[in-house]
Amino acid sequence: MKRRDFLRNTTAVLGSGVFMGASLPSALFAQETPATGGTLIWGHSETTQNLDMHQTGTASSGRVLQNIHSSIVTVDKDLNVIPGLCESFEVAPDGLTYTFKLRAGVKFHNGATMTAADVKYSFERCKDPATGAVNFEVFNNVAAVETPDDLTVVIKMSAVNAPFLSRLAENGAGVVMPVDSGPTQGTNPMGAGPFKFVSYEVGTVVKMARFDDYWEGPSYLDAVEAREITEPTTRLTGLRTGELHMINDIPLDRVGELQADAGLQVKTWFPLNFDFINMNHTFEPFKDKRVRVAFDMIIDKEALMEGALWGQGATTASPSFPTSAAYNQGLKPRAQDIEGAKAMLAEAGYPEGSLNIVFKATTNYPYHIETAQILVEWFKMAGVNLTIEQLTWADWLSQCWVDKDYQMTMMNFFTLWESDFLYFSVWNSTGAFNYRAINDPIIDDLTAKARITVDDAERAKIYQAVQQQIWDEAHDIVLWFRNGTIGAQPAVMGLDTVVHPNGSNLNFHKVWLKA
Amino acid sequence: MRALCGARVLSLGVLHMAYVLNRLLSVILTLFLITLVTFAVTNILPGDVAMMIMGTQSNPEALAGLRQSLGLNDPLLVQYGHWVGGMVTGDWGTSLIFKKPIIELLGQKALASAIIVIMSMTIALALAVPLGVWAAVHRDKWQDTVSSSSALMGVSLPDFFWGILMILVFARWLGWFPSSGFVDPSVDFWATLRHAFLPSFALGLGLMAHLTRMTRSTMTGILSQEFIRVARAKGLAERTVIWRYALANAIGPVITIAGLQIGYLFGSIIVMESLFGYTGMGWLTYQALLNRDLPLIQYTVVFIAAVVMLTNLAVDLLYVVIDPRIRLG
Repeated sequence: MKRRDFLRNTTAVLGSGVFMGASLPSALFAQETPATGGTLIWGHSETTQNLDMHQTGTASSGRVLQNIHSSIVTVDKDLNVIPGLCESFEVAPDGLTYTFKLRAGVKFHNGATMTAADVKYSFERCKDPATGAVNFEVFNNVAAVETPDDLTVVIKMSAVNAPFLSRLAENGAGVVMPVDSGPTQGTNPMGAGPFKFVSYEVGTVVKMARFDDYWEGPSYLDAVEAREITEPTTRLTGLRTGELHMINDIPLDRVGELQADAGLQVKTWFPLNFDFINMNHTFEPFKDKRVRVAFDMIIDKEALMEGALWGQGATTASPSFPTSAAYNQGLKPRAQDIEGAKAMLAEAGYPEGSLNIVFKATTNYPYHIETAQILVEWFKMAGVNLTIEQLTWADWLSQCWVDKDYQMTMMNFFTLWESDFLYFSVWNSTGAFNYRAINDPIIDDLTAKARITVDDAERAKIYQAVQQQIWDEAHDIVLWFRNGTIGAQPAVMGLDTVVHPNGSNLNFHKVWLKA
Repeated sequence: MRALCGARVLSLGVLHMAYVLNRLLSVILTLFLITLVTFAVTNILPGDVAMMIMGTQSNPEALAGLRQSLGLNDPLLVQYGHWVGGMVTGDWGTSLIFKKPIIELLGQKALASAIIVIMSMTIALALAVPLGVWAAVHRDKWQDTVSSSSALMGVSLPDFFWGILMILVFARWLGWFPSSGFVDPSVDFWATLRHAFLPSFALGLGLMAHLTRMTRSTMTGILSQEFIRVARAKGLAERTVIWRYALANAIGPVITIAGLQIGYLFGSIIVMESLFGYTGMGWLTYQALLNRDLPLIQYTVVFIAAVVMLTNLAVDLLYVVIDPRIRLG
């Protein structure tokens, strides 16, 4: 997708969540009456790991577990927080008390009826450091979880935490599990979602079956089989031979070929994630804003996106979810200006040929390597010698993420649609994901202020100011939103409902198979 | 005379027993050394499983908590003792990344690999032996050229090439076999064989090439020997001479080579497993390494080492059965 198309589309769908592009077949049959039955065979691009919703941090496991669990609240396609397992929720004006009225008669897969005790158990389990929950910090300000009756949960906060409710809309924190089911969640995940867990054969297949008592009504499909096929070509072959009904993550260079095939459906949507180039702020040259801005000016983002993503994305200067109120529409990517960059580098004391930079890219994302390879040429033109070091995922996490032992790198993030999670974690000097060691008092003040600003419009403005500051200072170079892709047989219906508003999770509740 | 024979059999039996025990002892000693090396190497790998579990959601506080709960903070000696102790008592623990008992994981994946290793070996031998014999019998004629060329092609082209070709022809065009996946034999044995066939066939072609060449060269040697000429001079049918006399003597080295491949195949079929989405031991070892799942790395490495050593031992013993002239010692 070209930038102008992206802008046109975002304007058109602003406020309407994740944008999806559909090829003809599903659009034609969209009005048909759904049929019940059948097993959907999904070629899943990644290996599912720990199945405990609290403990798992990987997108692959989250994608499967989305079908097994439900959260206390969720988001609509506009990313507004709406009731999930609760019927209603209320936030006290001081922001210190949250009251949830639970739906009556919600069943878990074990047949038990959900009560306030299950919510209390789940939240306290997530908060408990012994659980090893990835999202435990969501509950940092929670002083008490009270259950005045079976269908009421009252959460008392020790301090205001404005993003609390939004964070509960993610399964990792807001999931409700039956009391005492924790120890078996890793091997036998159980929740109140549309599908029951049946079995998992590691690295091969996760099987799920329809849960007839699902609180939003039973799904159309009898079952879903998530076959784990990490090799992209093998996945594509499975779709072409008809062994698979559906695959996610079509290799970027093959999307066009599939779109041209009238016998298959292709869905693309953005954003699956955003990518940005990182400069280590403890590395001497990058302490100087002029060097960072010059580096931004060396890169032609549009050409880079065409080259590395095969056009399967849209450039952006803001990492905010494109349809969220916080997205700063005024920001544009810096245009390429090699001569200007050269001059600015010289002014900063780095004349042509004097800068040697190592760019660490992880092989976990092959397009990161391709990005780096394209960058090398532009940087050479600007008199900067860029060398690429390829790292496995484990090495990247260890060297760049944890030890901050790098000069330049790049990364992508999924599902950080919640602004606090995004900006505080990634750009605040104390943020958990500030692996560039950015220390900007203006951003620190703004992100802290947003946390205690309960008014949504006001918060959105603060986050727009944060984006402006990131851009002005070129703390990082934000590149693009990458498209998500699904390929499917023509018989798979309801694909429009598959992608969760977070752009990563897939939900098969409304999917059906045409006979 | 009978007593004398009995004593000889007994002494041979004792000799065999002593040999087997001796070999087993060396297997155990080697395995012990392998545990030391594996443990040392895995502990100096950069990154850890806590980081891999949390991915880009990790932060120092959460990582510290997870490391503690996974037992990664225990002293190394304690961790090593715990591991080796567990191995001996059968308490192999749980994979940190998959949260499944290691013994169960290894069982599933070793079975998956064993199926394609056995199938590919069967296919390879079934093709290689007749082809090798055919070439040896028609030495330096066009049959020999055809056989040698096909063997050369099999050796020269990598397994994954055959794999891609198989997928294209038998899965995509003809639709006879599934292109990927593994089905547990306890669920549907027929489906297990169907899923295992293409990767086995692709692997089998590579193996076949080695075995054809081996069969041809040993057969050529045997066919020029005195006793074959005597057999022919006695007026035995050529078919009997070749298959009963020559091949019986030539098959030993072929079996040895085939046996040695079994252990090797077990851990090295990762490319084929990846191509066919068929998750066996190669895949498990790779995942363990990729995710820094230390207990899983340690057990898979030791398991594969044990399989290699035990198959070698089994082949040596089988050799004696096939060719009684071989003496152990």
